[in-house]
Amino acid sequence: MKKYLSLLAILMLGVVVIFTVTACGANQQDDSSGATEKTDGINGQSDKKQEEPVKLRIYAQYADEDTKAPYDYAVEALKKEMPNVELELDVQAQDDGQKLKTYAATGNLPDIFQSGLDIINTFKKSDNILVLDEYAKKTGFIDKMHPSAMNTLYADDGHIYAFPYAGNELILLFYNKEIFEQNDVKVPTTYDELLTAVKDFRSKGVTPLSIFAKEKWPCVGLYDIFATRLEPEGIKKLDQGKAKASEEAYKQGAERIIELVKAGLLPKGATNLNYDQAAALFHQGKAAMFINGQWEIEASTKALGDKVDWMYYPAHDAASVEKTKYAFSGSGGPGGYAVSPHTKDKELAVEVAAFMSLKYAECKYTRRSNPILATRVDLPIEQPYPAMMEKLSVDIPKITSTTAFAWGLSNPKFKAALEDATQRLLTGSYSADDFVKDLDDVIERINK
Amino acid sequence: MEKYLRDRTAIAVFILPTLLLFTIVVFNPILQTFYRSMFEWDGLSEAQFIFFDNFTRLFQDRLFYDSMYNGLLFAAVLVVLQIGIGTFLVLAVTDSAIKYRKFLRISYFIPVVLSITVACQLWLSVYNGEYGLLNKFFETLGISYRQDWLNSEKGAIFAIAVVNAWQYMGYHFAILLAAVKSIPEQYFEAARIDGAGKVRAHLSITLPLLVEAYRFCFVLAITGGLNAFANMFIMTGGGPGTATYTLTYMMYRSAFRVNEFGYGCASATMLVVQCLIATIIINKLFGRESVTY
Repeated sequence: MKKYLSLLAILMLGVVVIFTVTACGANQQDDSSGATEKTDGINGQSDKKQEEPVKLRIYAQYADEDTKAPYDYAVEALKKEMPNVELELDVQAQDDGQKLKTYAATGNLPDIFQSGLDIINTFKKSDNILVLDEYAKKTGFIDKMHPSAMNTLYADDGHIYAFPYAGNELILLFYNKEIFEQNDVKVPTTYDELLTAVKDFRSKGVTPLSIFAKEKWPCVGLYDIFATRLEPEGIKKLDQGKAKASEEAYKQGAERIIELVKAGLLPKGATNLNYDQAAALFHQGKAAMFINGQWEIEASTKALGDKVDWMYYPAHDAASVEKTKYAFSGSGGPGGYAVSPHTKDKELAVEVAAFMSLKYAECKYTRRSNPILATRVDLPIEQPYPAMMEKLSVDIPKITSTTAFAWGLSNPKFKAALEDATQRLLTGSYSADDFVKDLDDVIERINK
Repeated sequence: MEKYLRDRTAIAVFILPTLLLFTIVVFNPILQTFYRSMFEWDGLSEAQFIFFDNFTRLFQDRLFYDSMYNGLLFAAVLVVLQIGIGTFLVLAVTDSAIKYRKFLRISYFIPVVLSITVACQLWLSVYNGEYGLLNKFFETLGISYRQDWLNSEKGAIFAIAVVNAWQYMGYHFAILLAAVKSIPEQYFEAARIDGAGKVRAHLSITLPLLVEAYRFCFVLAITGGLNAFANMFIMTGGGPGTATYTLTYMMYRSAFRVNEFGYGCASATMLVVQCLIATIIINKLFGRESVTY
């Protein structure tokens, strides 16, 4: 009996080895086929195919009004421009690119997909994203770019991997003017005034600042606001390995958040609030301030009318108010609609991707009153800008520096560490020293 | 039957499908995970063999120890609440003096059939720092104990563990109930004749005869605690910061947020080793001869 069982065990081990080896082998084969696809380049077969009905799978954001409306607008326009092309939408998951990476790993990438810097960096190493340098020239996409938004087109290596639509977006600190007036609190221009305002609001039972810190990028944004008061390049400099968290600007940024949190800056359970919950606090007049990207302008204006405005970030001290007034947090980065190198008709897919990006931007500009775009739109806007957007559009040319959103950071290891550490700051029980140590450990390991 | 039992070829043929399935579904992924933990790999590009470097790094990573500590805390809460309270409830519903026993039995099991997402959403409302039921409860009682349950670095892991314990206590309750029901009634009659009260009878008869069931419950609770993931994924996203990370969460972070699949596999390997050690220890502790009367 033992002999039989031993034989069986050996047989099973053999099965395992075969599985392991074949799994690895398949991967390598996929990789090499990917490489071959990429070097094929333009094959010039698309004119004929454009007339035939074609179905393309597209992986795109389609979650809220800000993403549904531009997508639907672009699809409608595509039906008129290329009636033979049908798009099959695969809705993008909010999962740090996990679904898309799984598609890539299993050789099932959609023909067109929305990509950010992380996806571009990961996919270019594994030949899962088409280099669009030639196509961008050929389709005329480059000519339609805003000169100030070229950073959203080119990746660090100088190549184009996606057709962008979003421009250099910014983090804004919104506030409810009525709540400030009713509680006789001055709109802060310096950190000390902000601290006083937080204490005043807290003593009157008003939540000073609402933040949807369950998503970690707003935590990074809040931290960056304070870091940029002393170091205009903020988190971007840390990401590039040009600075350490132990430097004064970064350590003080952490200390200030801790001090504000201890003074009662945030609502209870802030790290567990999603956008809807946090925005409701602000839109319903229960929180005096709210942090979000400038795309929040439309929703806040709709909810609060002319009671809402955005403030310049509170400066380090009174002397530096004017000097750092236009040092903003946020910015754009390479991203947009990318194309799979494994798609059947590359030229057609590229053409559709470029078209979708242009139309996406067109909708944002004409229908959603958003002028912060990567590409130029020559059509008139359908509704005037809200007052806050007017104010921002006047200030945009005066901006002295920008940094990055968390999703625009180039190193995923640093990004994850920064997101975790800045979220911990919001508990008030995480020390600035631990914050500095944790970040510097990661920065050191990355740069080793 | 005996003829077949003596036929070794027949035995081998009959167990082959199960063994094959087990090998493919369980053993092969474990081996692959271990194999891939020796690579620097982002999940897509060509992997680079780095031998045990991922493990060396893992043992120097504070997050690894924090995650392991959280897993142990989670497991401890499950053991105390699921098995401890489960036992108490079983003894209660098997007592003929208790009314509505059938209703209680069903009630205790209802959370088990709920989706984990539903259970977590329910408890997110309960734990809400501003308007949550729990804080309101303390407020109603006039007790000044308002807590920011899920925003606390030290407390959030306990809060999440309680949710898991609440949801799956019914499962342990069912296992223990079945074991209690299988104890012959005459043992208790004999104890009563000897003058033993309810507590004495349970201590001397019920609990010792539940050893086998406890062994199973301990393995489930402890390994379940060590590799907990879904509750924290839904309720806190591992936060605040990394305060509610377990090894499974660390594996998820490494693989999908940081693109370090090899490092994630190293975490997974350590998790498998931990669960294996825990199971061996539990079997050793409960491995003495079965109690018989």
